[in-house]
Amino acid sequence: MRLNNLFTSKRLRWFAAGIVLFNGFFPAVWIFFTSLKNEVELTAKPITYWPQNPVLTNYIAAFRDQPLPGYLLNSAIVSILSMLLSLFISALAAYAIARLNLKRRNLILTCIIAVSMFPLVTLMVPLFEIMRSLNLLNSYVALVLPYTVLNLPICTLILVSFFQDIPRDIETAAMIDGCTRLGALWRVVMPLAAPGVFTAGILAFVNSWDEFLLSMSMNAAVAYRTLPVGIQMYQGEFSFPWPTISAALVIALVPVVTVILIFQERVVSGLTSGGLKG
Amino acid sequence: MSQRSLRDRILDPSETALAWALLTPAILFILAIVAYPVSRLLFNSLFDVRPALGVPITFVGLDNYATALSDSMFWRAVKNTLIITFVTVPGALVIGLGLAMLANMPFRFRSPIRLALLLPWALPLAFVGLIFAWFFHSEYGIVNDVIRRFGGEPQIWFNSPALTMMAICIATIWKTSSFMALILLAGLQTIPASLYEAAEVDGASKWTQFIEITLPLLVPSMLVALIFRTLTAIQSFDIPFSMPGPGEETQTLAMYIQINTVDYLDLGYGSTLAVFMFMLSMATTFVYLRYVRGDKD
Repeated sequence: MRLNNLFTSKRLRWFAAGIVLFNGFFPAVWIFFTSLKNEVELTAKPITYWPQNPVLTNYIAAFRDQPLPGYLLNSAIVSILSMLLSLFISALAAYAIARLNLKRRNLILTCIIAVSMFPLVTLMVPLFEIMRSLNLLNSYVALVLPYTVLNLPICTLILVSFFQDIPRDIETAAMIDGCTRLGALWRVVMPLAAPGVFTAGILAFVNSWDEFLLSMSMNAAVAYRTLPVGIQMYQGEFSFPWPTISAALVIALVPVVTVILIFQERVVSGLTSGGLKG
Repeated sequence: MSQRSLRDRILDPSETALAWALLTPAILFILAIVAYPVSRLLFNSLFDVRPALGVPITFVGLDNYATALSDSMFWRAVKNTLIITFVTVPGALVIGLGLAMLANMPFRFRSPIRLALLLPWALPLAFVGLIFAWFFHSEYGIVNDVIRRFGGEPQIWFNSPALTMMAICIATIWKTSSFMALILLAGLQTIPASLYEAAEVDGASKWTQFIEITLPLLVPSMLVALIFRTLTAIQSFDIPFSMPGPGEETQTLAMYIQINTVDYLDLGYGSTLAVFMFMLSMATTFVYLRYVRGDKD
């Protein structure tokens, strides 16, 4: 609002909106256009922008050439499991930090947040060795456990700030009614902090959904590949079937786009909470 | 139950025991997935661990470190990583600030703007790499098409290490600037309008207002975003992996670590390289924290 006076003219505002929208959506739109072009149109010169004869054959090829539903399923299993696990663990930790009689609570929170400073590549090396010696390469466990820890810092940070905002009286009232501490956490605090739980959950989900390095290193086998790894497999040694890859990318984008469409305000508040408080 | 006994219960020392019990799962997870692996990593970096060759695990002291320091592929990987870091972190900051200023205008419909900033953040890096590899395709890519339309010389981007690095940096800046913009936008919205009004009364130009009010007040949000952006830039893997240049010329440190560990199963050397990555990250965090503290004093 404060730049109101600076850019009052309507045209300038449209121009600004145009730049932001173009920047954000163009790559996805372009990939969508590519996915509708047939081989002839794709190799035409000069290249066409708008698809001349939209075809769906690339989508059929995307499902034929790689087990795309399997990749989607693997990504969903890994992301949802690690999201639930990190929410559970961080809710307990956040409650202890926000509410209970604990010395050095800030130090403990800082230690948990410090985990996010740790380079994932560095963790990948020993984790690969450990999972390999435990015969856990190519399993959901190999990804769910590390992703859970990766999501702990942000989930704990968000939940602590939400728990702190819940009036203590409500909890006390629940305990007068005979709730135990944990009962109060589960029945009163968690429902009241639902927006925070959602925010933390979505961020955890998207983080796990997007992860590539660990997934590629741990789960190279077809049966356990997640989407970001599976998408890379369309390319042959010498061929790069761009229309098929584009179609697969469009399909792979649907879940993430749906999540941010539905939860955009929650996602933004979660992303910026760390920035504003830090 | 009387109010007093409830009060006693809440302030009871056993509350502390409960607190530690609730922290236990988190602590166990961090010990098992971070602390133990890291100690293992430091240990392995002193050994020759190559399980695929069937050679016995032998203590080699600092040999792996010496190997790395005289390994030209290691230095090339470090160089590429630093180039990406020094180009894309300021790049994402500048572009992100621009996007945040544009997105902060009084629009009637905020939702599409917010989505436009969220989409690049939500896209997996590996997808972004593929999408931009297609943009920079030498024959059918849109970048060369635009260059042709403006009468320029189309480039075979992925045949030249320098051009590949350029494409990698552009893709990385696109991907990361919108996160930067979201953080800065939240920062912009906390700046009280009265400051600008007062400056207006004093006759300060828009540029002066930007330099004297907006930028200084954005510094806290910027620093947090910059720390995380720099730490992730040092670990660049997904985008350079999806946009390979000629040979291994554009390999980053993260890629070199991954190849040595997973493909060559040279766990000792992989661990040593990972220790270097760790030191690079710690140094970065240290520099930023020093700056933050120095700023506050």
